[in-house]
Amino acid sequence: MEKSEVINKLTEIFRKVLEDDSILLKDELTANDVDGWDSLSHMLIITEIERLFQIRFKLKELNKLNNIGNLLLLVSSKIVQK
Amino acid sequence: MNEFVIRKATTKDIPFLVHTIIEAEKSGTEILSYSTVFGLTELEVKNYLKQMLAEEVENSELSVSSFLVAEKDGVVAAALSAWIEGFGGMSSSMLKGNLLKYFLPKQCFERAAKINNVIRDVHIEYIPNSIQIGAGYVAKEFRRNRLLGVLNKELIESLANTINGEKVIYAQIFTLNLPSMKTYEKAGFDIILTKKSNNEEILKYLPSNEKILLKKVLE
Repeated sequence: MEKSEVINKLTEIFRKVLEDDSILLKDELTANDVDGWDSLSHMLIITEIERLFQIRFKLKELNKLNNIGNLLLLVSSKIVQK
Repeated sequence: MNEFVIRKATTKDIPFLVHTIIEAEKSGTEILSYSTVFGLTELEVKNYLKQMLAEEVENSELSVSSFLVAEKDGVVAAALSAWIEGFGGMSSSMLKGNLLKYFLPKQCFERAAKINNVIRDVHIEYIPNSIQIGAGYVAKEFRRNRLLGVLNKELIESLANTINGEKVIYAQIFTLNLPSMKTYEKAGFDIILTKKSNNEEILKYLPSNEKILLKKVLE
Protein backbone atom coordinates (compact mmCIF):
# COMPACT_ATOMS: atom_id res chain seq x y z
CA MET A 1 0.00 0.00 0.00
CA GLU A 2 1.35 3.41 -0.94
CA LYS A 3 2.20 5.86 1.83
CA SER A 4 -0.32 8.35 0.44
CA GLU A 5 -3.07 5.75 0.63
CA VAL A 6 -2.19 4.98 4.26
CA ILE A 7 -2.26 8.69 5.11
CA ASN A 8 -5.62 9.09 3.38
CA LYS A 9 -7.14 6.20 5.28
CA LEU A 10 -5.72 7.44 8.59
CA THR A 11 -7.10 10.89 7.87
CA GLU A 12 -10.54 9.43 7.26
CA ILE A 13 -10.38 7.62 10.58
CA PHE A 14 -9.30 10.67 12.53
CA ARG A 15 -11.96 12.83 10.90
CA LYS A 16 -14.67 10.23 11.55
CA VAL A 17 -13.83 9.56 15.20
CA LEU A 18 -13.13 13.19 16.10
CA GLU A 19 -16.04 14.43 13.96
CA ASP A 20 -13.87 17.10 12.36
CA ASP A 21 -13.48 17.22 8.59
CA SER A 22 -10.80 19.89 8.86
CA ILE A 23 -8.21 17.59 10.42
CA LEU A 24 -5.02 17.34 8.38
CA LEU A 25 -2.45 14.79 9.44
CA LYS A 26 1.18 15.88 9.55
CA ASP A 27 4.16 13.95 10.90
CA GLU A 28 4.63 16.29 13.86
CA LEU A 29 0.95 16.36 14.85
CA THR A 30 0.27 15.23 18.44
CA ALA A 31 -2.80 14.73 20.62
CA ASN A 32 -2.12 18.13 22.17
CA ASP A 33 -2.71 19.77 18.79
CA VAL A 34 -6.16 18.31 18.18
CA ASP A 35 -9.30 19.20 20.13
CA GLY A 36 -11.21 16.23 21.44
CA TRP A 37 -8.37 13.73 21.09
CA ASP A 38 -8.87 12.29 24.56
CA SER A 39 -8.34 8.78 25.92
CA LEU A 40 -11.68 7.51 24.64
CA SER A 41 -11.22 9.00 21.17
CA HIS A 42 -7.69 7.65 21.07
CA MET A 43 -8.96 4.18 21.93
CA LEU A 44 -11.53 4.40 19.15
CA ILE A 45 -8.96 5.68 16.65
CA ILE A 46 -6.60 2.79 17.37
CA THR A 47 -9.47 0.29 17.16
CA GLU A 48 -10.50 1.66 13.76
CA ILE A 49 -6.91 1.58 12.49
CA GLU A 50 -6.56 -2.07 13.51
CA ARG A 51 -9.88 -2.93 11.89
CA LEU A 52 -9.30 -1.08 8.64
CA PHE A 53 -5.72 -2.22 8.07
CA GLN A 54 -6.23 -5.69 9.60
CA ILE A 55 -3.29 -5.24 11.93
CA ARG A 56 -2.76 -5.52 15.70
CA PHE A 57 -0.62 -3.28 17.88
CA LYS A 58 1.27 -4.31 20.99
CA LEU A 59 0.91 -2.13 24.06
CA LYS A 60 4.59 -1.21 24.06
CA GLU A 61 4.32 -0.16 20.40
CA LEU A 62 1.33 2.05 21.16
CA ASN A 63 3.15 3.73 24.03
CA LYS A 64 5.88 4.94 21.67
CA LEU A 65 3.47 6.68 19.31
CA ASN A 66 4.03 10.28 20.33
CA ASN A 67 3.05 11.77 16.98
CA ILE A 68 1.38 10.99 13.68
CA GLY A 69 4.73 10.42 11.96
CA ASN A 70 5.50 7.51 14.28
CA LEU A 71 1.97 6.16 13.86
CA LEU A 72 2.35 6.24 10.09
CA LEU A 73 5.69 4.42 10.26
CA LEU A 74 4.28 1.75 12.56
CA VAL A 75 1.14 1.17 10.48
CA SER A 76 3.21 0.98 7.29
CA SER A 77 5.65 -1.51 8.84
CA LYS A 78 2.82 -3.72 10.05
CA ILE A 79 1.18 -3.71 6.64
CA VAL A 80 4.48 -4.83 5.09
CA GLN A 81 4.84 -7.62 7.70
CA LYS A 82 1.47 -9.15 6.80
CA MET B 1 -0.66 13.46 61.30
CA ASN B 2 2.74 12.36 62.66
CA GLU B 3 1.57 8.78 62.87
CA PHE B 4 1.07 8.65 59.08
CA VAL B 5 3.86 7.72 56.69
CA ILE B 6 3.80 9.31 53.23
CA ARG B 7 5.41 7.22 50.52
CA LYS B 8 5.31 6.43 46.82
CA ALA B 9 2.72 3.82 45.84
CA THR B 10 3.90 0.39 44.76
CA THR B 11 2.20 -2.42 42.91
CA LYS B 12 1.22 -3.87 46.29
CA ASP B 13 -1.06 -0.85 46.71
CA ILE B 14 -2.98 -1.56 43.51
CA PRO B 15 -6.18 -2.72 45.27
CA PHE B 16 -6.35 0.57 47.19
CA LEU B 17 -5.46 2.57 44.08
CA VAL B 18 -8.27 0.86 42.18
CA HIS B 19 -10.66 1.84 44.96
CA THR B 20 -9.30 5.39 44.82
CA ILE B 21 -9.85 5.67 41.06
CA ILE B 22 -13.36 4.29 41.29
CA GLU B 23 -14.45 6.49 44.18
CA ALA B 24 -12.92 9.57 42.53
CA GLU B 25 -14.74 8.79 39.27
CA LYS B 26 -18.04 8.45 41.12
CA SER B 27 -17.59 11.89 42.77
CA GLY B 28 -19.92 10.97 45.60
CA THR B 29 -22.60 9.47 43.33
CA GLU B 30 -23.35 5.92 42.28
CA ILE B 31 -22.45 6.60 38.65
CA LEU B 32 -19.16 4.97 37.61
CA SER B 33 -18.29 6.17 34.14
CA TYR B 34 -16.07 3.16 33.41
CA SER B 35 -19.21 1.03 33.92
CA THR B 36 -21.71 3.21 32.12
CA VAL B 37 -19.54 4.10 29.12
CA PHE B 38 -18.06 0.65 28.56
CA GLY B 39 -21.00 -1.48 29.73
CA LEU B 40 -19.07 -3.18 32.50
CA THR B 41 -20.00 -4.18 36.04
CA GLU B 42 -18.07 -2.52 38.84
CA LEU B 43 -16.33 -5.82 39.54
CA GLU B 44 -15.22 -6.04 35.91
CA VAL B 45 -13.97 -2.44 36.08
CA LYS B 46 -11.95 -3.29 39.19
CA ASN B 47 -10.36 -6.27 37.48
CA TYR B 48 -9.44 -4.29 34.38
CA LEU B 49 -8.08 -1.40 36.41
CA LYS B 50 -5.89 -3.84 38.36
CA GLN B 51 -4.50 -5.21 35.13
CA MET B 52 -3.92 -1.75 33.67
CA LEU B 53 -2.16 -0.46 36.80
CA ALA B 54 -0.01 -3.60 36.88
CA GLU B 55 1.46 -2.58 33.51
CA GLU B 56 3.27 0.21 35.37
CA VAL B 57 2.93 2.67 32.51
CA GLU B 58 4.13 6.05 33.77
CA ASN B 59 2.79 9.61 33.61
CA SER B 60 -0.94 9.05 33.42
CA GLU B 61 -3.94 8.73 35.72
CA LEU B 62 -3.57 4.94 35.47
CA SER B 63 0.05 4.92 36.65
CA VAL B 64 1.08 3.46 40.00
CA SER B 65 4.06 5.82 39.90
CA SER B 66 1.72 8.84 39.80
CA PHE B 67 0.37 8.03 43.26
CA LEU B 68 1.49 8.87 46.76
CA VAL B 69 -0.13 7.05 49.67
CA ALA B 70 -0.51 7.80 53.35
CA GLU B 71 -0.10 4.79 55.58
CA LYS B 72 -0.65 4.17 59.27
CA ASP B 73 0.58 1.07 61.04
CA GLY B 74 0.97 -0.65 57.69
CA VAL B 75 -2.58 0.18 56.55
CA VAL B 76 -3.04 2.47 53.54
CA ALA B 77 -5.29 5.33 54.58
CA ALA B 78 -5.30 7.62 51.55
CA ALA B 79 -3.98 8.01 48.03
CA LEU B 80 -3.62 10.85 45.57
CA SER B 81 -2.21 10.97 42.07
CA ALA B 82 -0.57 13.71 40.05
CA TRP B 83 1.67 13.75 37.01
CA ILE B 84 3.37 16.13 34.63
CA GLU B 85 1.29 16.17 31.48
CA GLY B 86 3.21 15.04 28.44
CA PHE B 87 6.36 14.13 30.36
CA GLY B 88 8.24 11.60 28.29
CA GLY B 89 6.68 12.80 25.05
CA MET B 90 3.29 11.08 25.29
CA SER B 91 0.04 12.68 26.37
CA SER B 92 -1.57 11.02 29.37
CA SER B 93 -4.79 10.63 27.38
CA MET B 94 -3.02 8.53 24.79
CA LEU B 95 -1.36 6.39 27.45
CA LYS B 96 -4.72 5.81 29.14
CA GLY B 97 -6.40 5.18 25.79
CA ASN B 98 -3.72 2.62 24.92
CA LEU B 99 -4.33 0.76 28.18
CA LEU B 100 -8.09 0.79 27.69
CA LYS B 101 -7.70 -0.42 24.12
CA TYR B 102 -5.31 -3.18 25.13
CA PHE B 103 -7.33 -4.61 28.00
CA LEU B 104 -11.02 -3.98 27.38
CA PRO B 105 -13.08 -6.32 25.19
CA LYS B 106 -14.11 -5.22 21.72
CA GLN B 107 -17.76 -4.74 22.64
CA CYS B 108 -16.72 -2.02 25.07
CA PHE B 109 -15.31 0.08 22.24
CA GLU B 110 -18.43 -0.37 20.15
CA ARG B 111 -20.57 0.85 23.02
CA ALA B 112 -18.22 3.73 23.84
CA ALA B 113 -18.18 4.86 20.20
CA LYS B 114 -21.94 5.40 20.32
CA ILE B 115 -21.72 7.39 23.54
CA ASN B 116 -18.63 9.49 22.81
CA ASN B 117 -20.48 12.40 21.23
CA VAL B 118 -22.64 12.73 24.36
CA ILE B 119 -19.89 12.74 26.96
CA ARG B 120 -17.27 14.77 25.07
CA ASP B 121 -19.26 17.95 25.82
CA VAL B 122 -17.64 18.11 29.26
CA HIS B 123 -14.19 17.00 28.14
CA ILE B 124 -11.37 19.34 29.18
CA GLU B 125 -7.94 18.96 27.58
CA TYR B 126 -4.86 18.46 29.72
CA ILE B 127 -2.24 21.20 29.37
CA PRO B 128 1.27 19.98 28.47
CA ASN B 129 4.14 20.59 30.89
CA SER B 130 1.81 21.28 33.78
CA ILE B 131 1.03 19.31 36.92
CA GLN B 132 -2.28 17.50 36.64
CA ILE B 133 -3.92 16.33 39.84
CA GLY B 134 -5.73 13.05 39.41
CA ALA B 135 -7.74 10.73 41.62
CA GLY B 136 -7.73 11.10 45.39
CA TYR B 137 -9.42 9.20 48.19
CA VAL B 138 -9.30 8.84 51.96
CA ALA B 139 -10.65 5.74 53.66
CA LYS B 140 -13.60 6.66 55.89
CA GLU B 141 -11.94 5.69 59.15
CA PHE B 142 -9.00 8.03 58.44
CA ARG B 143 -10.88 11.16 57.46
CA ARG B 144 -10.45 14.52 59.18
CA ASN B 145 -6.67 14.14 59.23
CA ARG B 146 -6.15 16.46 56.24
CA LEU B 147 -4.43 13.62 54.43
CA LEU B 148 -5.32 14.77 50.92
CA GLY B 149 -3.87 18.18 51.69
CA VAL B 150 -0.62 16.59 52.88
CA LEU B 151 -0.44 14.28 49.87
CA ASN B 152 -1.18 17.18 47.56
CA LYS B 153 1.66 19.25 49.03
CA GLU B 154 4.17 16.39 48.81
CA LEU B 155 3.22 15.50 45.24
CA ILE B 156 3.44 19.06 44.01
CA GLU B 157 6.78 19.65 45.69
CA SER B 158 8.24 16.55 44.09
CA LEU B 159 6.86 17.28 40.62
CA ALA B 160 7.47 21.03 40.52
CA ASN B 161 11.24 20.56 40.54
CA THR B 162 11.12 18.79 37.20
CA ILE B 163 9.25 21.58 35.37
CA ASN B 164 11.19 24.33 33.66
CA GLY B 165 9.55 27.71 33.47
CA GLU B 166 6.20 28.59 35.00
CA LYS B 167 4.90 25.91 37.35
CA VAL B 168 1.16 25.50 36.97
CA ILE B 169 -1.16 22.99 38.60
CA TYR B 170 -4.54 21.95 37.23
CA ALA B 171 -7.37 19.91 38.64
CA GLN B 172 -10.62 18.88 37.01
CA ILE B 173 -13.70 18.07 39.06
CA PHE B 174 -17.41 17.78 38.57
CA THR B 175 -19.23 20.76 40.06
CA LEU B 176 -21.38 18.55 42.26
CA ASN B 177 -18.24 17.61 44.17
CA LEU B 178 -18.58 20.56 46.54
CA PRO B 179 -16.15 19.28 49.22
CA SER B 180 -13.37 19.02 46.62
CA MET B 181 -14.20 22.41 45.16
CA LYS B 182 -13.98 24.06 48.59
CA THR B 183 -10.70 22.28 49.33
CA TYR B 184 -9.15 23.49 46.11
CA GLU B 185 -10.37 27.04 46.52
CA LYS B 186 -8.97 27.12 50.07
CA ALA B 187 -5.68 25.90 48.64
CA GLY B 188 -5.52 28.88 46.31
CA PHE B 189 -6.91 27.39 43.12
CA ASP B 190 -9.10 29.48 40.83
CA ILE B 191 -11.85 28.19 38.58
CA ILE B 192 -10.80 29.10 35.05
CA LEU B 193 -13.12 27.05 32.90
CA THR B 194 -16.54 25.46 33.12
CA LYS B 195 -17.84 22.92 30.66
CA LYS B 196 -21.52 22.11 30.78
CA SER B 197 -23.65 19.83 28.70
CA ASN B 198 -27.30 20.59 28.12
CA ASN B 199 -27.88 17.07 26.88
CA GLU B 200 -29.67 15.29 29.73
CA GLU B 201 -28.54 11.96 28.35
CA ILE B 202 -25.07 12.64 29.71
CA LEU B 203 -26.35 11.93 33.21
CA LYS B 204 -26.79 8.28 32.25
CA TYR B 205 -23.01 8.04 31.83
CA LEU B 206 -21.33 10.65 34.04
CA PRO B 207 -21.90 11.79 37.63
CA SER B 208 -22.69 15.31 36.47
CA ASN B 209 -23.25 17.40 33.35
CA GLU B 210 -20.84 20.09 34.49
CA LYS B 211 -17.10 19.99 35.00
CA ILE B 212 -14.71 22.70 36.07
CA LEU B 213 -11.02 23.29 35.57
CA LEU B 214 -9.12 24.76 38.49
CA LYS B 215 -5.69 26.32 38.23
CA LYS B 216 -2.96 27.44 40.57
CA VAL B 217 0.34 29.02 39.66
CA LEU B 218 3.20 28.24 42.01
CA GLU B 219 5.23 31.20 43.18
